[in-house]
Amino acid sequence: MPASVAVGRVNLSHPQRGQALSPAQIQQDLSLIAEAARASQPRLPAVLAAIAELDQASQEFIHHWAETLALSQQDLAAHFLAQVPDALAVLEQPAIEGWLLKALDTFDQRGLAAALQVIQDLPACIAAQAVARTGCTLDQVAGFLRHFIRALGGRPLAIVSDPLTYTDTEKIYLPALLTTLPDQAGNARLLKCMAVYLWAQNRFGTWRYGTVGQAITQLDALGWQVFQRLESVRIIARIARELPGLAREMDSVAYVDDAARHAWASFSAAAHTLEDPHAGVQDSLALVDAGRALVLPPPRQFQGEMLPHKVGEVFARRVPREKDALRQALANLTPDAVEKDPDNPDDAPPEVAAEGEAGNRFSLAQTAPDAAGEPQYELRYDGQKLALTAELEALLLSILQDLGELSDEHLAPSGAAGTDPRDEQGSPGATGLGDVSSGPGEVFFYPEWDYQRQHFRPNFCALTEQLVPEGDDAFVARTRQKYRGLAKSIQRVFEAILTEAQRQRRQPHGDELDLDALIEAHVDRLRGHEMSDRLYTHFRKAERSVAVMFMVDMSGSTKGWINDAERESLILLCGALETLGDTYAIYGFSGRTNRRCEVYRVKTFTEPFSLAVERRISGISAKSYTRMGVAIRHLGKLLAQTPARTRLLITLSDGKPEDYGSYRGRYGIEDTRHALLEIKRDGIHPFCITIDREAQDYLPHMYGLANFTVVDEVMKLPWKVADIYRRLTT
Amino acid sequence: MLSAEHAADRMILEEPYYEVLGNEREVFTAAYRNQLPVLLKGPTGCGKTRFVHHMAWYLKRPLVTVACHDDLTAADLIGRYLVKGGQTEWLDGPLAQAVRMGAICYLDEVVEARKDTSVVIHPLCDDRRLLPIDKLGELLQVPPEFCLVVSYNPGYQSVLKDLKQSTRQRFVALEFDYPQPDLERRIVETEGHVGPEMAARLVKFGAHTRNLKGAGLEEGASTRLLVNAAKLIGSGVAPGVACASAVAHALTDDAELLQTVHELASAVF
Repeated sequence: MPASVAVGRVNLSHPQRGQALSPAQIQQDLSLIAEAARASQPRLPAVLAAIAELDQASQEFIHHWAETLALSQQDLAAHFLAQVPDALAVLEQPAIEGWLLKALDTFDQRGLAAALQVIQDLPACIAAQAVARTGCTLDQVAGFLRHFIRALGGRPLAIVSDPLTYTDTEKIYLPALLTTLPDQAGNARLLKCMAVYLWAQNRFGTWRYGTVGQAITQLDALGWQVFQRLESVRIIARIARELPGLAREMDSVAYVDDAARHAWASFSAAAHTLEDPHAGVQDSLALVDAGRALVLPPPRQFQGEMLPHKVGEVFARRVPREKDALRQALANLTPDAVEKDPDNPDDAPPEVAAEGEAGNRFSLAQTAPDAAGEPQYELRYDGQKLALTAELEALLLSILQDLGELSDEHLAPSGAAGTDPRDEQGSPGATGLGDVSSGPGEVFFYPEWDYQRQHFRPNFCALTEQLVPEGDDAFVARTRQKYRGLAKSIQRVFEAILTEAQRQRRQPHGDELDLDALIEAHVDRLRGHEMSDRLYTHFRKAERSVAVMFMVDMSGSTKGWINDAERESLILLCGALETLGDTYAIYGFSGRTNRRCEVYRVKTFTEPFSLAVERRISGISAKSYTRMGVAIRHLGKLLAQTPARTRLLITLSDGKPEDYGSYRGRYGIEDTRHALLEIKRDGIHPFCITIDREAQDYLPHMYGLANFTVVDEVMKLPWKVADIYRRLTT
Repeated sequence: MLSAEHAADRMILEEPYYEVLGNEREVFTAAYRNQLPVLLKGPTGCGKTRFVHHMAWYLKRPLVTVACHDDLTAADLIGRYLVKGGQTEWLDGPLAQAVRMGAICYLDEVVEARKDTSVVIHPLCDDRRLLPIDKLGELLQVPPEFCLVVSYNPGYQSVLKDLKQSTRQRFVALEFDYPQPDLERRIVETEGHVGPEMAARLVKFGAHTRNLKGAGLEEGASTRLLVNAAKLIGSGVAPGVACASAVAHALTDDAELLQTVHELASAVF
């Protein structure tokens, strides 16, 4: 008899390991899912009948995904069922999974309506599948392209997918999928060439602030066609001079056929003045009227569009903002510059000088061009070269890329009144999480692993760090009193670790001779002094370099004696750790839903042990649920930043991961397991100390066979924790 | 005394090739004349060691170089007793040697050395100018010709290996960076024995990789790497292959970044 799982309002059959669902159960479940949806599906009987015709594997596949979707939203599942027979007829199962994952991600980020749209877009998905073998998606090359374009230099340009191929001088828009050429490698190359060409438009001055406005008023539709080709001649010549290898590659994908190649050759010959190293966008613009008489070749395949209005919009935002930013930066520079100039102590204040007739004291000087022939600039103050920060240099570069030069207005430092910063920062709320705040402090976003999708839900959890309120001293004193004997023995054991952990030189016994000591002894003997008998080295493990993070379960279920035992263990352990000199931190964790995950700071790695830390330990109290994955990711990140040869993440817990909503059961276990795998990749050893007697069922899966201990009596926890720590780190 | 011979061995007779970047030679000379120790900061492969060689030649002083490592103790720097033919014999460490011969002593990557080396570095570096040799019961007064130079790369060391304030505040610091493009081109041309055109392309390639610093790469291609690539090219290796072997794989193991560096190399040639 299969177990049943509750999905929303319906109970579904759930296959036990090694058992298959019968077709009748599948039919029953699917109709339950479809009926639970708000929108009724008129095609449902027909669809179910069609599904019943499929083979067992396909039916189970459909059942699995219907259940997964229903866990997020019932309507998603119902719409999926309506589409799935058609989809299975033309798509492979992995392609269907891709389609559904996209729908689920869309649901997490943009809500139901958008996700339903994705599900209904099946025909588009089918079309994409047909070309996926020969086409190249932007996703495949985006990572590489970002690095590549950044390395080429100039203002940083983001790479974004868009139906049109163009640049607005802040982003490069490329098609999400390219199928122009017959093979995938060729399409990948063409995507790269598109990105490079659009980068070159930015870098080599196609989009100059003044020129764009002029071109918009001056050019008609045909004029733009001519201008676009003239610029292409000019830019390709620039690329050929500076990046000849790239130019050859671009040439190999530029033309549809030989006719196009010839057409371009004659067009370029007619516009050959633009191939001059000093030709600029103004020269192209001046040639437009003459170019109208020429035969226009078809656009080069990587050329994309020119959308001057989009560029204009960006200019309208950026140019004034960067001007303000520069003037602000110059104002900040001014006092320094004055101090650097002790020869003229009676300088007027900079504001006055800036407004004065004599003009600006800041100036921009062109210096010798660099290896590439690009002009180099330096900013001067009263003729003296100023050292620039990286930000200011990037800002100047960006402005010069837009304007070609700096106006006097740019070089006038803004007054003390200052300008209001116009930067509108994107907020993390863009993930569609709504209100995520829970108390003060920074909000961190982490992904969560969904085992059913076999995929991350990006930025799904919002986590805040909070300080544990200080508790009473009495608890600390009581614990010390209660475990007086134990504390002493723990102390002795740990002191022993400390001495044995070092490589000991000049020992009376040992594994090897201590050469330095031996020579010294020999020297002593020759000179008539007494020889030492401490001539051996005793090798033990290398120097101790351990950082440990204690992650304490503060879920509601720890209330009472478990919480007491946790706190007592921590107080005893802190004393021992101070002896060892290991770096350690203590954080509690709890939370309620993915929007309110919380970690509670008891002691950071850098904070010394103090009375305040002790009081915070005694202030650890039971809160709500156990959403473990996100806490592991956050604390693992903190631990990974701590320099140490050995890094340990020790979890003190009373049970399996659990949270309000779907985090119960397998989902939570799988997310926790995945988070642990992630931190292991960062070189962290996770270990779990738990008092859940059923832990044998799930801990080996989460932590691995050897990486946990079940303490069967809560009262023993303080004894055990110190002992386990000793075993772990020696 | 042995040290006279040693000093002759350690003189640099031929001028090491070095292009002056700014005022570093004047500052170094002034520090030397005033018996101040010098700290060289800068990324790897930008010419710190070459600069010290150049200055030793320029100031006509012998040069003692110690590459520091994490097992280097104060005794390794000062010296120890050895037994030779049944007799004990004291052997000066490099630092004591340098002091005796009035040399320039260069401790490369000083943060790598054990903490106890600061015990000997500190009294050397302030106005006491002393080198205590406990085992000999000797207190060496440092001659005015002696100069201590240390280098470190602030870029990639871990927090554990930062230079302590008490140490760094004893030095005159000179900051190094990669040279300006036309200067770097000249260096690659001269050192790597390639033509100006090829040198310019290599420098351009280097500049492109430096744009990736902090955006994937820990460091861009250093001048040294570019010179290495130039040397390979000079021996007939194809430019793309030379850049892959001498630069790309030396910079990163990440597949995506390797592809980027490869494509940058093929873009500029």
